[in-house]
Amino acid sequence: MASPCRIRLAGVADEAQAQALAQAAVDEVRRIEQRYSRYRSDSIVSRINAAAGSGRPVPVDAETAHLLDFADLLYRQSEGRFDLSSGVLRQAWDFKAARVPSETELARCRECIGWDRVVWTGEAIALPRAGMEIDFGGIGKEYAVDRAATLLLEAGVRSGLINLGGDLRVLGPHPDGRPWRLGVAHPRAPGAVALEWAVHDGALATSGDYERYFEQDGRRYCHILDPRTGWPVSHWQSVTVAAPSCLAAGALSTLAMLAGPQAPAFLQSQGVAYAALDPRGELVAPGLEPST
Amino acid sequence: MAATEDRKTASGWGLIALAACALPGVMPATAQAEEAPEQGVVALKYSSYEDHQPGLKRLSVKSPSAYLMTPIGREWSVEGSVTHDDVSGASPRYYTDVTGASRMHDDRKAGDLRLTRYFERSTLSVGASHSDEHDYVSNALSLAGTVASEDHNTTWNWGVGAAHDRINPVNDLVDNETRRTTEWLLGITQALTPQDIVQANLTLTRGRGYFSDPYKLFDARPRQRNATIALVRWNHWWSDLGMATKLSYRFYDDSFGIRSHTLELAADKHLSDTLVLTPSLRYYTQRAASFYYDPVSDPNVYPAPYGTPTYSSTDQRMSAFGALGLGLKLAWQFEPDWTLDVKGEQYEQRSNWRLGGHGSPGVDPLTATQWQLGLARRF
Repeated sequence: MASPCRIRLAGVADEAQAQALAQAAVDEVRRIEQRYSRYRSDSIVSRINAAAGSGRPVPVDAETAHLLDFADLLYRQSEGRFDLSSGVLRQAWDFKAARVPSETELARCRECIGWDRVVWTGEAIALPRAGMEIDFGGIGKEYAVDRAATLLLEAGVRSGLINLGGDLRVLGPHPDGRPWRLGVAHPRAPGAVALEWAVHDGALATSGDYERYFEQDGRRYCHILDPRTGWPVSHWQSVTVAAPSCLAAGALSTLAMLAGPQAPAFLQSQGVAYAALDPRGELVAPGLEPST
Repeated sequence: MAATEDRKTASGWGLIALAACALPGVMPATAQAEEAPEQGVVALKYSSYEDHQPGLKRLSVKSPSAYLMTPIGREWSVEGSVTHDDVSGASPRYYTDVTGASRMHDDRKAGDLRLTRYFERSTLSVGASHSDEHDYVSNALSLAGTVASEDHNTTWNWGVGAAHDRINPVNDLVDNETRRTTEWLLGITQALTPQDIVQANLTLTRGRGYFSDPYKLFDARPRQRNATIALVRWNHWWSDLGMATKLSYRFYDDSFGIRSHTLELAADKHLSDTLVLTPSLRYYTQRAASFYYDPVSDPNVYPAPYGTPTYSSTDQRMSAFGALGLGLKLAWQFEPDWTLDVKGEQYEQRSNWRLGGHGSPGVDPLTATQWQLGLARRF
């Protein structure tokens, strides 16, 4: 998952049993990582991408079909802001070299973006153009959090926390009923906490402009890119969403970053609680009371 | 630095959150056990009802009421309400004619209590209610439950109830009369898509005892009344419009010979984050009871029914008519846990608005206006 991951279980009486449960959860996370990694040539994603432009639809299993259906819904609900085929933009954006791509480079990438051009039948998928690719980067990790949580909850675990690189799901409060107090990283002060959130159950996910970025001529270029233009978003410093599942929280926090100033109305329409840091670093968190 | 509490909105998730949770394996089946509501509600309402017929203000009812629902732990909830109706005015003795003697004033006090236990995928509740007027006392008990499918897309609901009423009219026409009613209900609710929910209910009722109106002339009704009621509903969420529409159709058929159809359409439109406007439109049409008889055309006589029939009635509610209701409700969530709502409804009933046949002749139209003001707090 290319990020620090942690599984904490509480209220499991026997240590060996806790180890076995945690191992099963880790195995499930690894299974999903392998299945949806674009770095592994045997993954379903690599097989789909390898067939791009061939006109040959690639049949997919039921689990992948559900995720593609969900990505399709996100595309339609976000008016194209979430696009499973937008990963090719990383060919133009080099955050290590801190280089702003030319409009020609972006235009070339945009020719390979467009979920609306992908042929998705519900059972098989075909990418119409050579060079097109799909990437589960926007939802795969969050899905892995939920799958690991479900596995543990169905095994009877009622207290604990799964944290895959900051996307997390609470299995239930501490055994004494206290909520988990979760800190959200400050986007402008590394190591500092911007806010704390007390969570009994459900999931939290954060999207921000500070994970991969560079600054040039006073402008910040972050890794969250709008597939319609190819340019980075530039409104919120970070958005944290609480939802029943990590998949929902992650998708909604990413869509909120992409929605710019419309994010509060969008998140409210989705019925979720959220906390966002605006361009000046001010906390926008309706209904949540600040304290020191 | 800010500390926050996770806010639980058990209902009201948007389409994306619901779709994410609906993916297989994202939420555990066992964690979807039916749980008691996480928040309690206390609500106060004041409603005012007035009906009119041409040239005459008839009944007026003012009703303050209070409602409380509170969870008890994670597996139980209890809810109850009390109402006081202050009824005054004139009810017609004969068709829509009112005599001086039919002026009335009444106080009705009513209350009910319901206890619900939540199990994994099912609920069971028991309820009791009591209503008291000076000439009419009613007590009822009910048992109801729901069972949800493993994926929670289908819910069966069932209920049985029994009511016992005691009638002691002030005119001493009858003394200590009773009426017993039993009711059975079976229904199914199905989530078709994340935006569509349909529901179908079938209710059978069986009543035995005194059904006549002791304050009306020539009113003698059968001592049994059995009814079949079918209801179908369809709720659809239009994500593009930020609006939910609720369409329902109700069919009613009883052993008095009344058969009615009700079609209702309502919409919840979010005007802003805190304001919801709900317009509604209802059309109702019914066939007359078999023992209802039409007035004769000569207004100078007060005719009894022809011959000496076993059963007869001149009650406007037993006639054939159609009716339209138009309502508007505005709910304002002025604080996260506080909601204020105001609702108005205008209703009009006319013989010639009956669909598929003539309405009963010679009956005055009836109009009614209802206002309601409510304040609710979640805790």
